[in-house]
Amino acid sequence: MRNMVSDAPRTTLTAFYWAFILYLLLPLTLMMAMSFKDANFVAFPIGDWTLDWYAKVMQDKQFLEACLYSIMIAAASTLAATTLGTWIAMLIVADGIRGRTIIFALACLPAVVPGMISAISLRIFISTIDMPTGTAAIILGHTVHAVPFVVVMALTRLRSMPRNLVDAARDLGADGVVAFFRVTLPYLGPALFGGMIFCVLLSIDDFVRTFFLGGYRPTLPMLIFAKVQGGMSPEINAMATIVLVVTAAVGLYAEFITRRARTR
Amino acid sequence: MVNSNTIAGDAAGRSASIPKYSTGIARIVNSAIYRHTLGAAVESPIGRVILLAGVPLIWLIMLHIGPIYQMLKISLLSHYPVQPGVESHFTLDNYAIFFRESLYFTPLIKSFIFATAATAATLVVVYPVAYYVAKIVKPEGRSKALLLLLVPFWAGELIRTFSVIMLLANRGAVNVLLREIGLIDRPIPMLYTSFSLGFGLVYLICLYMLLPLYSAIEKIPGQYLDAAADLGAGPFTRFRRIILPLSKDGIVSGCSLVFLTCIGVFATPMLLGGPNTVMFPETISGFFHGASDKWPVGAAFALIMLVTALIAAGIFMRLVGGKKGSAI
Repeated sequence: MRNMVSDAPRTTLTAFYWAFILYLLLPLTLMMAMSFKDANFVAFPIGDWTLDWYAKVMQDKQFLEACLYSIMIAAASTLAATTLGTWIAMLIVADGIRGRTIIFALACLPAVVPGMISAISLRIFISTIDMPTGTAAIILGHTVHAVPFVVVMALTRLRSMPRNLVDAARDLGADGVVAFFRVTLPYLGPALFGGMIFCVLLSIDDFVRTFFLGGYRPTLPMLIFAKVQGGMSPEINAMATIVLVVTAAVGLYAEFITRRARTR
Repeated sequence: MVNSNTIAGDAAGRSASIPKYSTGIARIVNSAIYRHTLGAAVESPIGRVILLAGVPLIWLIMLHIGPIYQMLKISLLSHYPVQPGVESHFTLDNYAIFFRESLYFTPLIKSFIFATAATAATLVVVYPVAYYVAKIVKPEGRSKALLLLLVPFWAGELIRTFSVIMLLANRGAVNVLLREIGLIDRPIPMLYTSFSLGFGLVYLICLYMLLPLYSAIEKIPGQYLDAAADLGAGPFTRFRRIILPLSKDGIVSGCSLVFLTCIGVFATPMLLGGPNTVMFPETISGFFHGASDKWPVGAAFALIMLVTALIAAGIFMRLVGGKKGSAI
């Protein structure tokens, strides 16, 4: 009886949805458009289009170094977080484990603690174990931040896994380790891939942990923060546009892969 | 499963112990090193437990509890980092400072008011959108409608904050536009005020509200609504009596998530807020940069903030959700 639902709320909601999309996309579109403008300030119409700001950014050694540094940190923390997260998820679903809920709650803790407090507690923690601030500390911080998300994603996938797959492997003589690497891990594949991309984006985006744990070498968000504090400039627009396009492409690709895996 | 044949083949071959594998894993499994270390460990029950639980438990205890525990410990010390010649002793003074000085008290209150207001605003704005995607868009179109909402969130916190600056600054888009049409002579100062901070916060966090709401609303069976409509319930009654109660889980988890994120946001208030909107995280950060002597006070303040934020979120869950923490 669909026609009982009158059309007025439907039209309003549709309009609201598109207004919301506009609200979400307008600032970013504006930012991207202004990166092609030849003047130093916002003005309409854009008038003379130019790629000068991009050329300037691509020659900016600081920017390129920050990019590389951020990517390196993201790769390292993603690898660590994926390994640990999967391991914790395996522990949670294992047979005969007592205190499953406590382990799960513990695994999720860093996701519930507000970012600022997490950053400060890690700063104190590394100082109590005499670890210097810098690359290793940032990687550690980002890993702690990312583990809960991997655990949740891996758990969701593990719960949908037919039990008999592992049983069959065990019957055929595979020990636990072999069964994990040859049956469970391939089954987890798509979920873990989605989780890894998420970790990468999480790490590249993180400012507050890096701010407290980092040394003098700026990561991408720290560089952008410093520039934004200095005021508006089309150079930041170009920089932000590059980062936005790259991360959105990576995010879309991950979305596409996990979707395809889910519908299979 | 495409792989099952190869798995079965390898495993059967292994039990007959004929080393005829070409795959890497099989070669490792059959090597003497593996059989005497990991292989042996897996065979024994204790070894299996250690292999499964060892690393996860060490990680969870060391790095998920460790930092919070160390923060608690240092918040009770009079001096940290310890300097030569200064004796550090147990004290509750760091907590007392908070209640003595309104200079510290006010930012926390402000942080809470802001986070609550931003959470409420986000809920009101995002709910219709989540409802639209979950119930009005046809199932085939849903993932596209959601994807469109997700796009800005790949931009990251700082870039989105900067785009808000572009919009609201004195020479930003809104002011330029208003001046072009002749509505104003001088720019309206919008940036570095509570307004710009609120606008930016909602812009920053609406995804955290959207996803829980969407998954809760999507689960509501359409027949309920049809049945209610058949029985004569208007749109408003259907919303109040069916949709709202059944999406409660989504509201609770979305609001808690948004609230806890808002409280801990650090960079955005520094960039979008002004001198009137100094939030608690910025206050805390002051104790860690500069005079390092104040670490214990900073730790105490961070704990005060963590505990009050969690209590607030917990009370909210109790009040609205009915049962504790069901949604997270």
